[in-house]
Amino acid sequence: MAAVAQTSKLGKVLWPVLAWTIALIFFFPIFWLVFTSFKTDADAVKPEYLFFFTPTLENYTNMTENYDYWRFAVNSVITSTFATGFALIVGVPAAYAMAFDPSRHTKDILVWMLSTKMLPAAAVLYPMTFLTKNLLGLFDTHFLVIMVLCLINLPIVIWMLFTYFKEIPKDIIEAGKMDGVSTWGEIKDILIPLAWGGIASTALLTFIFCWNEAYWTVRLTTIDAATLSKLIEGNRAPEGLFFGRLSAVSTAAIGPIVVLGWFCQKQLVQGLTFGAVK
Amino acid sequence: MAKRTLPRLLQTPAVVLLLIWMLVPLSMTLYFSFIRYVLVNFRKPEWATPSLSNWRGFGNYKYVLEAKDFWMAIQNSVLIVSSILVLTVILGLLIAVLINRTFPGRGIVRVLLISPFFVMPAVNAVLWINMILDPVLGLNGLAVSGLNELVAGLRDFPVIGGFFAMWPELHPISFRATQTSAYAVIMMVTWQWTPFAVLIFMTSLQSEDESQKEAAMLDGASAWSQFINLTVPHLARPIAIVVMIQSIFHLSLYAEIEIVSRGNGNKNLPYLIGEFTSNNIGAASATGIFAVILANIVAIFLLRMVGKSLMD
Repeated sequence: MAAVAQTSKLGKVLWPVLAWTIALIFFFPIFWLVFTSFKTDADAVKPEYLFFFTPTLENYTNMTENYDYWRFAVNSVITSTFATGFALIVGVPAAYAMAFDPSRHTKDILVWMLSTKMLPAAAVLYPMTFLTKNLLGLFDTHFLVIMVLCLINLPIVIWMLFTYFKEIPKDIIEAGKMDGVSTWGEIKDILIPLAWGGIASTALLTFIFCWNEAYWTVRLTTIDAATLSKLIEGNRAPEGLFFGRLSAVSTAAIGPIVVLGWFCQKQLVQGLTFGAVK
Repeated sequence: MAKRTLPRLLQTPAVVLLLIWMLVPLSMTLYFSFIRYVLVNFRKPEWATPSLSNWRGFGNYKYVLEAKDFWMAIQNSVLIVSSILVLTVILGLLIAVLINRTFPGRGIVRVLLISPFFVMPAVNAVLWINMILDPVLGLNGLAVSGLNELVAGLRDFPVIGGFFAMWPELHPISFRATQTSAYAVIMMVTWQWTPFAVLIFMTSLQSEDESQKEAAMLDGASAWSQFINLTVPHLARPIAIVVMIQSIFHLSLYAEIEIVSRGNGNKNLPYLIGEFTSNNIGAASATGIFAVILANIVAIFLLRMVGKSLMD
């Protein structure tokens, strides 16, 4: 801890102050959003009420009337949950096979999977609309949103799971094989309990990505399956002046996910680095 | 034999699903990019349905290449993505080094810092462009008019009043204009993704070899040369990761552009495709193919750079 000893007395004070200042600057926009959500629309644009005002819950109580918030929120919960679930059901066996029984092509398959993630979504916007609207009749259905969210996140899910599974000693899995445990048994009784932490953080991160997804959920829905992204993006233009209610609905849209993120930030980082940063 | 079949079988659903997801829409885009396909055209209603008899060859590509918007969109895409990458890496490094020490409230600082990363892009854009950057009602406008009032008040004072009388009246920058809205987008995305860079760099810093650092210190190396010679090389891999993951996300940036600069001329490739898609599907598809090519160039480069280290 020579580094600490070397730090001068001034540094000891300055350092934390600097760190806190930067953290507060970064958090400020979120704070401002929440803060504004307690002002009435009229107060929110008056400079004299910038910091001091009579707080009101009006914006939250009117949220259902103004925005039909709950419909979108429920859609977000349904689609994100099922998409995450499906991605794991498809991803866990695949990552298991790649991690414990790799072939010559495993690396290529993994890289290819990640490269599908790099394809710009916009390039296939019209075909997707055409297919789902005219041919399959799936446009604006929960099923479609769930499938799309699942597919766009599948490469990341498999990558993350793969890096977690690789950390598990092969011997443990081999021992199971010796004892004549079936593959399903290996996954269920050995792999999942051992990699539980990794699977959980993969699930959380996927859920966050699904919740925040704003391209397909906006473009492939109208009303029935529209999520919170669609609510915010779709309603913004005429709402420019209604800062109060806009803040309230935005706060309600990001609240659950920001709080979820706070609790699992450590696990999330580990997963996001694809195991490349220890 | 059975040993090999099972693992393959387990991978099949994932591989097949991704293949379908990639190939079916992409081959349709490819097909549409070679035909005349215009949704509403009163003179040529036959163009409204995709058919081989409307073959246009490379006509759509030529049309797109000659469109002024296309080059502006490419330029903007590159400007936005590269600025965000540079800013997040630099800010991320500085902040990571700053908070990689123990000080009171470090846990809370981390939580505050990471928060922007979880904000959904649509909310991010709405929040920044309206409540913060709006030149009249946002904090941007309020701050500038507050400053103007302050200066106006100071003008009445003796002695220093003369000095302040020389100050011009400030005008807030409007971030909805064509020239400035790209900067608004860069600002809000940098705000959102710097925390991500910070967290990854911090994780990596914690695994840095302290004994090496101490040896360097005994040799009288300055803090700066320690940072450049030890810390930065150690961070090469995390930097590569940050660049790769962000490129994946930012090349297809859309919600922010749509909300900040709808119709004002500031567009990136995905946005231009979206515009074409409202009528000229042929041109939209050709632009899409260009976007795929661009993404592939970036992807090959990045995966080469990072792919190897990921497999070890």
